[in-house]
Amino acid sequence: MNNIKIKSKNLNVYYGEKQALYDVNLDLNEKEVTALIGPSGCGKSTFIRCINRMNDVIDICKVTGNIEMDGIEINDKDLDVVSLRERVGMVFQKPNPFPKSIYDNVSYGPKIHGKGESKNELDEIVEHSLKKAALWEEVKDRLEEPGTSLSGGQQQRLCIARAISVNPEVILMDEPCSALDPIATAKIEELIDELKKTYTIVIVTHSMAQAVRVSQKTGFFHLGKLIEVGKTEKIFKNPDNKMTQDYITGRFG
Amino acid sequence: MSNEHTVKSYEEELQFLKDSLINMGSLTESQLTDSMDAIIKVDKDSIDKIIKSDEKINKFRSKIDSQIMNLLVKRAPMAIDLRETISSLKISQDLERIGDLSKSNAKKVKPLPLDLPDELLGNLKRLGELVIKQLNDVLDSYVNKNYNKAKDVWEKDEQVDDLTYIAMESVIDFLSKDKKNLDFSTHLIFATKNLERAGDHVTNIAETVCYLIKGEYLKGSRPKGKVVQDN
Repeated sequence: MNNIKIKSKNLNVYYGEKQALYDVNLDLNEKEVTALIGPSGCGKSTFIRCINRMNDVIDICKVTGNIEMDGIEINDKDLDVVSLRERVGMVFQKPNPFPKSIYDNVSYGPKIHGKGESKNELDEIVEHSLKKAALWEEVKDRLEEPGTSLSGGQQQRLCIARAISVNPEVILMDEPCSALDPIATAKIEELIDELKKTYTIVIVTHSMAQAVRVSQKTGFFHLGKLIEVGKTEKIFKNPDNKMTQDYITGRFG
Repeated sequence: MSNEHTVKSYEEELQFLKDSLINMGSLTESQLTDSMDAIIKVDKDSIDKIIKSDEKINKFRSKIDSQIMNLLVKRAPMAIDLRETISSLKISQDLERIGDLSKSNAKKVKPLPLDLPDELLGNLKRLGELVIKQLNDVLDSYVNKNYNKAKDVWEKDEQVDDLTYIAMESVIDFLSKDKKNLDFSTHLIFATKNLERAGDHVTNIAETVCYLIKGEYLKGSRPKGKVVQDN
């Protein structure tokens, strides 16, 4: 069993009057993939947005309870959010490369975080990140072309390279394959398998099959509550909770 | 029981699969009963009918196979649905084997003399009745998703083994009295062994039903009777 990287205790999130998460207690293990599943609006994205304090940008959002990374409270007002986001990268549903070159997309993060002072160092970071994102071979001769000129799947891998470039510890993925075709999806899944050796990964997905394929642990959310969490194999073969079973078998009414 | 699937045709496909398996089960049970009757009554006229019914059982097996392939491809079943689908595959294989063994036993009726003594067939008859009861019970446990009933069947395989041993002894005893009995006694020994094997397939089904219901395998090794321990 790997160490716990992130631990939430009685985590509650409110968007104004509306409560989006109710007392979520969830441990995410280091160098493991945790999949979060559940119907739309169940709180899974809200949960991962707590990990890198993305909810801060929403004025009416209030977070109570605890969420710790390596024992340090993420929700602490005095925490340096910029350095938190250096440690916790994020990849979104739709690939969103900056309107810049492939090279600049990857080097942007290290530059603003003060990494890679010389051109050589930056070159190295870009090459390393693109290689880790399994994109290097496809783009090494066209690094100056705009990131947006790549195919959807390549753009998503570029976004993963961008996330990796600042050497994070955790990568959050919010439905990273929902806009991709099966081949591009397979490449991202293969990549996730590789990345979990280095990073702690949390993936939100609507595809049960994807959750089974990529994750070691799965959490099922419903109406803001974490209904069941356990080993992925157990959740999909023989879940304890009837609601989990109804959801994964397509019986949700 | 769970709610119905949002996709109605998925619900129907799973129900068709269960129905096919139940029909295959009841056909297998009748065939086993018929083959047992044929031996006890040395009824040579029923042999062809039993052989024909085995073809029907085999057809059910192919039909169930293709239903399962379709479900796996179309629905990628999960949790209870996955267990239901995979269990159907395993149970249909065991039923088909029981069908084969019944057919094999029916064929053994041909060389039997019409005047077999009662004391020779009594133990074989008891064994046959027990295996038929076991099959009936395990199918019942499948239909009603009754875990305890399936587990009872699993535990009772020990009795099947013990009765097999006793039935074998009586055939061997009969054989040792007069070597002229050698030819048909050999057939009866094989028929006895076939019944014991059919009992093993029933036990397999019981294990599958337990897994289907609880999602975990029965712990510990199977209860073993005398015939198995001696082997």
